[in-house]
Amino acid sequence: MSKKNKEILIKILIHGFFILFAFITLIPILYAVSVSFNGSNSIVSSDFSFIPKNLTFNNYLKVFKEEPLLTWASNTLILAIVTLLVSLSVGIPAAYAFSRKRFKGSKSLQKSLILLNAFPSILSMFAIWYLMSGPIPLVNTHIGLILIYSGTMGIFTIINLKGYFDTIPVALEEAARIDGANEFQIVLKILLPLSRPAIIVTGMMIVIFVWNEYIFSSTFMTGEENYTLAGGLYGLQAGEMSGSWPVFAAASIIISIPVLIIFLKVQKYMTSGLTVGGVKE
Amino acid sequence: MLNKKKVSPYLYIIPAFIVIGLIIVYPIMYTFYISFTNMNIYHWFDFEITGLSNYSKALFVFDLGFIKALLITIIWTIVNMVLQLVIAYLIANLLNNKLLKRGKNIYKMLLMVPWAIPGYVSILLWKNGIFNVQFGLLNQWLNTLGFQSVQWLNQPVVAFTSMTVLNLWLALPFMIMIMDGALQSIDRSYYEVAQIEGASKFEQSRYITIPLIKSVIGPAVVITAFTTFKQFDIVYLLTLQPASRTGAGIHTIITYAYENAFITSNYGYSSAISIIIFIMLVSFTLLTSNDFRRKKHE
Repeated sequence: MSKKNKEILIKILIHGFFILFAFITLIPILYAVSVSFNGSNSIVSSDFSFIPKNLTFNNYLKVFKEEPLLTWASNTLILAIVTLLVSLSVGIPAAYAFSRKRFKGSKSLQKSLILLNAFPSILSMFAIWYLMSGPIPLVNTHIGLILIYSGTMGIFTIINLKGYFDTIPVALEEAARIDGANEFQIVLKILLPLSRPAIIVTGMMIVIFVWNEYIFSSTFMTGEENYTLAGGLYGLQAGEMSGSWPVFAAASIIISIPVLIIFLKVQKYMTSGLTVGGVKE
Repeated sequence: MLNKKKVSPYLYIIPAFIVIGLIIVYPIMYTFYISFTNMNIYHWFDFEITGLSNYSKALFVFDLGFIKALLITIIWTIVNMVLQLVIAYLIANLLNNKLLKRGKNIYKMLLMVPWAIPGYVSILLWKNGIFNVQFGLLNQWLNTLGFQSVQWLNQPVVAFTSMTVLNLWLALPFMIMIMDGALQSIDRSYYEVAQIEGASKFEQSRYITIPLIKSVIGPAVVITAFTTFKQFDIVYLLTLQPASRTGAGIHTIITYAYENAFITSNYGYSSAISIIIFIMLVSFTLLTSNDFRRKKHE
């Protein structure tokens, strides 16, 4: 009997701990949400609560009216989509070759990709900037940023997809080859459909990367109309101080929601996609 | 027809390597080149080769701050990794407690939220919402309790602590998830035997859990250690933004390299720092990958 009581007590303690811990974890987010909906100026006074006293959408309206958020969003989307297309279209063939073909230099090239992946591109940012302001001026252009992002994400795509291709048995491809399919058909009709989850995860990661990148986009792009969301938000908080904090909180939440959704989607794919395989040997 | 069947493997990798070569490798090589020159704001075009002087300055002139930044980065990495591993281990164990059947998934989901928000957004929200001196939440609470406001990001030790708390907030979800997955991979019967043999909870952790999850969490721990070592965003966004520098004086090696290029315009010197960091990262990468390969063969 006393053992049972003890178990109940421990149970309550564990639940209590997790409720408290989850709440503390979420405080920064709850606070930002509350501030973004708050009408009065109570953020500077001390009688603060997590439920806004005068509920208002003004801060959200301000983001759209006073800041070129939609322009930033469309810039970001263009960059993300083109980067995605470039990274996948150069990355998939390379990953395929590294996974399925034996050729001289394959191992050392893969090794050098892993080493390059360890190099934070911010360290060569000055050189990139210097080279891009040379004879072919690419600073302050979308093409410049797309190239920078595609380089980094190209490496990521190759490493990620090569690893996944390796887990797919070659049996199916060999069967198709015997049936007379050519290499292009094999990749398009067999390998890519089987790699769907990995390609989706990789693609989502590329989009999130571009969405979240602020240091290159704020250094290389000048003029508000050229900013990405990250660069714009960065400029928004750097410019003014306390007055714009509720507007900044609102903008942060708007920008975070798509990433949150993508993240939840990817997680679903990560668990279901990796277990539902094509052929089981 | 026969020709078409055998497409050269190099054709597949050429497009990728053109992009990577132009945009990743070439700038690294160029950085390497600049690192041997005196290029700065006064010598934009007419810079000269000055040999290894930038490297010797970085490594031997302590006052310039690279060695200090390197030490801070090492301390930062150790402190954060130890705290992350310990806290994530404890929480993952609690999550997998037999008594916690209902609610586990809800708690897990709530604890994952910080991971799903763009990192720089979180950092800026913490900077303005939590750490801000006038209207940040921490000082609001302190004032309500009758204490003086604290400048959370201005003094080295306080700022370092604030950054560590924020980094834990950002990084723990991933580590908890990894630990949770690793714990679930352990066969329950080990613990049943241990209990029959009379092993305490601590002994079970020490002799069953930790040895068994080591290899599972190994790669994730190495990746996290690299990320922690390469920390830029937290330090830069909290204390080094040009419009709101706090003077905490904390630099990781990456923010130090960035500052010397884009704030003080010592391009040659900054490039030398970049190359030193690159060499360190490459050696760590080679070391850890060899380590794993050896472990696999054992």
